[in-house]
Amino acid sequence: MKPTAKELKIIQRMQPGVITLSGFLGSDTRALNEVIADDAAQLNRLGKTAEEIAARMEYFTQKSWNSYLDGELVDGKYQVKTDVYRGKLPCPFGHIGVYRKALTTLTNTANGLSVTWTSLNTHMIGSHGFFEGEGSPFHLDPQILVRALFE
Amino acid sequence: MDISAFLLFWAAVFTSNILLTNFLGMCSYLSVSKEVESSLGLGVAVTFVLVFTTALNWLAHHYILVPLNIVYLEYIVFIIVIAAFVQLLELIVERYAPALYYTLGIFLPLITVNCAIFGVSLFMVIRNYNFLQSIAFGAGSGLGWLLAILMLAGIRAKLKEKLIPAGLQGVGISLIVTGIMALAFVGFSGVAPIQ
Amino acid sequence: MLATIFKDIGALTAISGLLAVVLVLAERIFNNYGQCKININGKRDIEVKGGNNLLASLSDKQIYLPSACGGRGSCGACKCKVLEGGGPLLPTEKPFLSKAELAAGVRLSCQIKVKSDIAVEIPDSIFNIRRFDATIAEIIDYTHDTKGITFVLEPGESIDFKAGQYVQLLTEPYAKVRQRVSRAYSISSKPEDKDRLQLIIRLVPEGICTTWVHQYLKVGDKVSFTGPYGDFYLRDTDADILFVAGGSGKAPIKSILEHLEVVGTQRKMTYFFGARTLKDLYLTEEMRALEKVFPDFHYEPVLSQPAPDDNWSGKTGYVMRHFPDVIRDPQNTEAYLCGSPGMIDAVIKALTGLGVAKDKIYYDSFG
Repeated sequence: MKPTAKELKIIQRMQPGVITLSGFLGSDTRALNEVIADDAAQLNRLGKTAEEIAARMEYFTQKSWNSYLDGELVDGKYQVKTDVYRGKLPCPFGHIGVYRKALTTLTNTANGLSVTWTSLNTHMIGSHGFFEGEGSPFHLDPQILVRALFE
Repeated sequence: MDISAFLLFWAAVFTSNILLTNFLGMCSYLSVSKEVESSLGLGVAVTFVLVFTTALNWLAHHYILVPLNIVYLEYIVFIIVIAAFVQLLELIVERYAPALYYTLGIFLPLITVNCAIFGVSLFMVIRNYNFLQSIAFGAGSGLGWLLAILMLAGIRAKLKEKLIPAGLQGVGISLIVTGIMALAFVGFSGVAPIQ
Repeated sequence: MLATIFKDIGALTAISGLLAVVLVLAERIFNNYGQCKININGKRDIEVKGGNNLLASLSDKQIYLPSACGGRGSCGACKCKVLEGGGPLLPTEKPFLSKAELAAGVRLSCQIKVKSDIAVEIPDSIFNIRRFDATIAEIIDYTHDTKGITFVLEPGESIDFKAGQYVQLLTEPYAKVRQRVSRAYSISSKPEDKDRLQLIIRLVPEGICTTWVHQYLKVGDKVSFTGPYGDFYLRDTDADILFVAGGSGKAPIKSILEHLEVVGTQRKMTYFFGARTLKDLYLTEEMRALEKVFPDFHYEPVLSQPAPDDNWSGKTGYVMRHFPDVIRDPQNTEAYLCGSPGMIDAVIKALTGLGVAKDKIYYDSFG
């Protein structure tokens, strides 16, 4: 399917050097809607919705917000730390608003999985079902993410 | 139509007031009538533009549209002529009469889209006025419009201190007042029928 | 049939064309006011082409009065004082101006046309915002991810700013980045150095501007920035001061302290810098040296997780727990905070808990 004018605009904003240095699509050769559709199918198999995952990510970011230097052990087994850098970024999908450059790193001490996300990741997963293209610096694999967040 | 230009002028002011009998030019009438001073400025500007655009449009109609057999394009032509004239007038007034510009000039862009101006040009054609009649009709309509907006502005100034139900404040009460004013003016209509 | 169509279209085109020509000529003749001079605050004259409104004429010269409606006279934000040459007050301005403003000659700059020489007064905070070109004179590595970069303005240029304010650095296209972006960084040098300024920039993962600064810029490169912006600056009172910083938040406080070093102060000042380990500390020597300059100033780096081989003997934990030891009168204490929003939130909570008034806590929380 040919991308619409709106999609082309989104894809343009996802290119390297427009919003972030390396962009959002990485080395992925699939079309944007295929990336989203493939991840949606995978979420289906995992039995989680994108909204649930985003809410869980936001929960951890909030929990670690005030222990800005050392991070926090949340719910006994999630080691979480959030680093905030100066500035805010817009959403490539054209949503109104900007998102902090806040990097949350979570290590699940039960299974040893570790993931890092930004405020923009949380928004893009929750509102657009977008986990970024493969090879992108902040690409999140839905399966690993679900295991790290929920197991 | 054989009606003297003098009679036509007074008829246009009172008995066939463009605003109160045809309800043309309502938008700026309602929005600007909040203040007497601005109403006067806008009314003068409307009168001035009306005189000139009816004259220009009369010439355009009789010397361009009719000979070329393109009367059906008169809507477009009239609008372009009005817009261009207003623009030109604004430039000239601003340059050579700054004092006038500050009292009247800022209303000129509002007038481009005032339907009373366009309406007068159309009536002039439909009623087949000659050149002199057209100018008299234009001037009279302008003064009539000025009269109507001044009256409303005066009444609205008084209404400010009155208790008016919330839903009727602003445009609501203005329309009711306008309706009552129109009733009064219709009383004159038998004196000098022009249509 | 076809001939009629062409004739009618031709006639209509000719009429509109003629009117357009008349208007174009009229515009040339009547709307030509030649070159006009705008005098700003009695300090600077700028030459503009007459005929445009004041707001647009000023922004052509990089003086940006605030405007939310884009000059359509509906927001009333673009007010400025017109001392001379503004012409009479317009009905379109009146609703936006108070009695006091009318008396003072305040006007709506988007409604006034520049038709002759004109003199205006603009708040210094706006007047000072400009675009500057500069050359990099020095790059210092403060920590593994933080650099201090000194920019020298073009010869003859000078910048007026308050210690604590920030500038927006404009990037040039580099590597895969094809467009220019602008990013805000606090000024870390003192305002008395008017021909130069220093920024402290911490590398942001995937950051377009910080990557450019850290990996591509070198001494001698030319860059541009706009500014100064911001209302985080030192208030001139006698109250005790508590500075709290984390990460790259050291920059504005360094500027404030160096400014105080020049003008001198008797105020009691304490500076807490919160970090994780010893390798996150920087500028320690400089701050220690300042302790000897002021009569009552203490620099307190606080480490939350000192590494065993740091041999740390200073304060530990989070900065908040050390506040009670240094606040002698919460009613008479001002706090200046700069750091991550998490730190700011936690510090404000701790300070208000100790009785420091909320409106005496000034902060810059990373935009």
